[in-house]
Amino acid sequence: MFENVISELKEVVFCLRAGQVTLGYPFQPHPPEPGFRGVPRLDMQKCIGCGACANACAPRLITLSDRDGYRTVEFDLARCTNCARCRDVCPEEALTMSQQFETAAPSLRNLRITLQLRLVSCRECGAVIETQRMARKVLGKLPEPLGLSPQEVSWLDLCLDCKRTRAMAEAVLAKEVRS
Amino acid sequence: MTNRLLNWCFKKSIWVYHANAGSCNGCDIEILDVLTPYYDCERFGIKLVHTPRHADALLVTGPVTRQVRERLLRLYDAVPDPKLVFAVGSCASGGGIWFDSYATCGGLDKVLPVNIYIPGCPPRPEAILYGVAEALGLVPAQVEAQTYVEA
Repeated sequence: MFENVISELKEVVFCLRAGQVTLGYPFQPHPPEPGFRGVPRLDMQKCIGCGACANACAPRLITLSDRDGYRTVEFDLARCTNCARCRDVCPEEALTMSQQFETAAPSLRNLRITLQLRLVSCRECGAVIETQRMARKVLGKLPEPLGLSPQEVSWLDLCLDCKRTRAMAEAVLAKEVRS
Repeated sequence: MTNRLLNWCFKKSIWVYHANAGSCNGCDIEILDVLTPYYDCERFGIKLVHTPRHADALLVTGPVTRQVRERLLRLYDAVPDPKLVFAVGSCASGGGIWFDSYATCGGLDKVLPVNIYIPGCPPRPEAILYGVAEALGLVPAQVEAQTYVEA
């Protein structure tokens, strides 16, 4: 009989010492551990619209569409699995994984990111080449180390087909001049 | 008006019924976490019940496979009105990586009217708690649509 009382008293002491374990969560913040992957965050100023993330995304939630001189990059984050593959492939480091996890939304529209970037069209045939930001990046990288002539740089606003045609025409011309 | 009516209806404890619609069990484990004393959702009167007829809300996980679609509709009809539907996890809210698979319906919104989407793979227990609190009007929504047009 006494044994029982002692063990019960022990339990009382143990329970009193345990205190409160429940989190005060919705009223007090409970930040995740460092390294936690939350919602991907897109830096609209850095993104050049190259589409590497769309290629790597496992749930295919990033879509690109070219219309009316704009490239629209759309993120449908409702089906995002926070795998961070988009962050890994982004050449501009425009995508980062935030720590935000409180993503509950009453509508799927809240979970969309839409980014519209201006396009460069081919100056001869008008076909879409790339976004202006991509062109600017290439322009910043090319002439200095490679020593390209201004004429060759001006080929940047030609589409692949027009570039090919022009290269062929120039080659033929050079051969005729030589012979 | 409907909002006020809903607020009045869900003023007291809401009881939830948890339905697995083809989930991988990740989200189900997180839902179980919410029920533990550490997160303790019974503070808010949220309680898991064993029959949809006692429930006020449905917690649905998984991308809704073709097999489970009809059962889910029957389950939804069995819940008395007014009812809330939560899509827990990326699969339920948008189809996840199975959004275009022939074997799934590609998300809960294709099958049932959803009140709150809780994306995450799986969502943290806090995220689920936040979603439920958001549905009850205790906390504001944090995510918004972002748009940017280059000038």
